Amino acid sequence: MRLRKKKKQTTEISTASLPDIVFLLLFFFMVSATIQPKDEQVKYKSPSAQAITSIKQKTLVREIVIGQPKNTDYGVEDVVTVDNRIIQPAQLTQWAMEQKESLPEAYRDQMIIVIKADEYVNMGLIIDVQEELKKANARKVVYRALPETTTL
Amino acid sequence: MKLLDSTDKKDTMRLKTRTIQEINTGSMADIAFLLLIFFLVSTTILQEKGLSLKLPPPPEDQTVAEIHDRNLFKIQINSNNQFLIEDAVRGDLKGLREEVKAFILNKSNDPNLSISPLKATISIKVNRGTHYKYFIEALDEVKEAYYEIYAERVGMSSHDYRQLDLSKSTHKLLYEKGKEGVPMNISIAQPD
Repeated sequence: MRLRKKKKQTTEISTASLPDIVFLLLFFFMVSATIQPKDEQVKYKSPSAQAITSIKQKTLVREIVIGQPKNTDYGVEDVVTVDNRIIQPAQLTQWAMEQKESLPEAYRDQMIIVIKADEYVNMGLIIDVQEELKKANARKVVYRALPETTTL
Repeated sequence: MKLLDSTDKKDTMRLKTRTIQEINTGSMADIAFLLLIFFLVSTTILQEKGLSLKLPPPPEDQTVAEIHDRNLFKIQINSNNQFLIEDAVRGDLKGLREEVKAFILNKSNDPNLSISPLKATISIKVNRGTHYKYFIEALDEVKEAYYEIYAERVGMSSHDYRQLDLSKSTHKLLYEKGKEGVPMNISIAQPD
């Protein structure tokens, strides 16, 4: 009887520090999730497609973004950008080589290049990019496309 | 008398201890918002989806393969985004998927269609002025045709087949079984 009496005291957990924990978590995820800041130099709208597959190995992915520059100082012609900077297509071989170097040796041949291009980019530019990638032997290419939302 | 007294005491004691304990739920909203923000951020980032393609080796390593005309399915797109499929002008790509499937499999042994799925090659030739969108449209139709063939062979839907996780052995087996003997020969020809 006496034991019970002692045990059944009202105990309250202090919740004053919960908001702090929550904010800490929020900041942690904000910092870690945005690995690549999304300040892209070009405008692009990916075309839609049906036969899309998703990439499982995210670490092997390198991106090339092609579209019209957002900043009109760079003209209105479509440009090729990597890591948010404008690059000449001729320099892509060099870039692809460097990206390969950054991967562990066993995975170098498996590097996947994701081409994010605007719907209305001319194919001439895409072909040029592909030629440069071939030279660097970076031959796994994924044309980024969005799943079709409406099927008529 | 004494016994009754003691039970009375016990009852009152219980009442005292049974005060309702409440967990502070003030921070639940914070947690919910945190989760919401986290998922919003993470889902927009991980959208690495698209049409995969393996480029041919650089020109110096290329072996010039003679492809017999009947084994080649030609899709050409000009700078006005008009399609020329097997030398016939087309306004859109309606029905292309079925044509490609018929071409690859050639179940009726038509002499104008491919000899075997192994030899069948789909060639997509673009002009430098073609818009990317139309190239993707054509490539999508061709790839979907292949996936439908693969999926049909293992009794799945094309969508499920594309979702197969190759790191799982059972899935990989299905994937290989569907693909066996029907290589995805898609050639992206150089514009003139």
